[in-house]
Amino acid sequence: MNSLLTTTGGDQPTLDLSKAPLPNAKTLRQRMSIPLQFLRFLAFNALIMRMVAKGHSG
Amino acid sequence: MASVVVLGAGVAGHTAALHLKRLIGKQHTVTVVSPNSQWNWIPSNIWVGVGEIPAEKVLFKLAPVYARKKIDFVQAKAVEIHPEGDAAGAAPYVTVEHTSGERKGQTDTVAYEYLINATGPKLKFEATPGLGPDGHTLSVCTADHADHAAKALAASIEKMKAGQKQTFVIGTGHGTCTCQGAAFEYVFNVENEIRQAGVRDLARIIYLTNEAALGDFGVGGMVFDQQGFETTSELWTGSLFRERGVEAIVGAHVEKVEEGVIFYETLDGAHHQLPFDFSMLIPPFGGQPIKAFDRDGVDITERLFAPSGFMKVDADYTPKPYEDWKAADWPTTYEVPGYRNVFAAGIAFAPPHQISRPLKTANGTVVAPAPPRTGMPSGVMGKAVAVTISKRLKNPDAEAEHASMAHMGAACVASAGTGLTKGSAAAMTMLPVVPDYDKYPTGRDTRETRGELGLHGHWVKLMLHYLFIYKAKARLGWQLIPE
Repeated sequence: MNSLLTTTGGDQPTLDLSKAPLPNAKTLRQRMSIPLQFLRFLAFNALIMRMVAKGHSG
Repeated sequence: MASVVVLGAGVAGHTAALHLKRLIGKQHTVTVVSPNSQWNWIPSNIWVGVGEIPAEKVLFKLAPVYARKKIDFVQAKAVEIHPEGDAAGAAPYVTVEHTSGERKGQTDTVAYEYLINATGPKLKFEATPGLGPDGHTLSVCTADHADHAAKALAASIEKMKAGQKQTFVIGTGHGTCTCQGAAFEYVFNVENEIRQAGVRDLARIIYLTNEAALGDFGVGGMVFDQQGFETTSELWTGSLFRERGVEAIVGAHVEKVEEGVIFYETLDGAHHQLPFDFSMLIPPFGGQPIKAFDRDGVDITERLFAPSGFMKVDADYTPKPYEDWKAADWPTTYEVPGYRNVFAAGIAFAPPHQISRPLKTANGTVVAPAPPRTGMPSGVMGKAVAVTISKRLKNPDAEAEHASMAHMGAACVASAGTGLTKGSAAAMTMLPVVPDYDKYPTGRDTRETRGELGLHGHWVKLMLHYLFIYKAKARLGWQLIPE
């Protein structure tokens, strides 16, 4: 952890985020694509239900 | 006929009360004691706090729901627990203080055979001088607080529209805070509102947190398996901060707040001053101030409650270094030692230790995010305790249900902007909540621990908003909706 923990040397000790990965244009488009996001919506709900089934007792 | 008393009507208490009544029917009574007349879907307070929805959308009155479900409701706060009764008799009871109507301020007693303490957190704004709505910062912890924050945000946006620069500081107001997820959501929702208003270039937005690294969320961060590589929640959230131009200060303990200035200390021991125009800082949580007495009237509060005010349950509270912490330290039944008929669920139970590694600044100031135990885990605990009590009402020797945070998973959907076609959220799942390094090399099951960002996350959050309010209103089929 703390791979981002270098400060920028400004007026506050803020993290230097210039090395953090930026999403490319394709990723940004995919994040807002309604058909693709609908599939992710279904997949994420399936993930939640699987987690509920696996981990909600014991 | 036995009486089951539930203290608190938040996620854990309300879930427990509804399941109890469903399971034990008319044979026994269920009484909810809560100082609040309304139920609040707290995760959506974020949207109230930016003015996207009115406070009424996240609130509903508890009394009509309880009347329909034949659950007794006392609007009061618990002040004392007498688990062994008193000199007059061995029947256990709770002393409550009414919080509404003509009886406001008057005390009363409520007898019980089984008791669930689900009183939730006390918002300890007083831990940091100047923190909170009565001081110099805002909050989104209650619907009223969030409504107040929305008005302040609108005023700041108006100032920017008039050409005035504004500094926004959002985060945690003490080194021991939890609920970083709420601060994370709020900072990106505020950023989104400012961008939508067309004044983003006039806003400096800073996330000020006690987390030692971005993406820690009080659970020590997460490791995701993405496209064959292990990546961290730190890198993943760092990407979002960079993309949205939000600055971040980590490992910070806020010492005090004065008009327009936050004073904070960082892990290197340096002290800083941060001027602001708008600030929402989450307060640290403590347990509700409830005293406990034995049959002779001797104060046994320290036996039942941790110094933080949270109730001790079946956890291993032996002090030990971080390296020796085990998933098995965490409670599984939420039964209070010595009392098979008393339980604490949700935020009210005392965690055995933090999940994130606790740190100290170079000056010795504690910077240790408290473990989150809201939302999904609270609901699961509430239901498990309800099932235990329903079983013991039939057979007092029945084994308790188990619901350890070291086994259960949780989903956290952190809104980053609203709108059915323009919204966004960071949707995360983790299993288990408390990492188990004996079982998983990364502490968690990487097949179930995921982080995704996109429009679908907003849809999930919106769905959960409607689904859980429907469930909390105990509408048809409510019990089929999982906690």
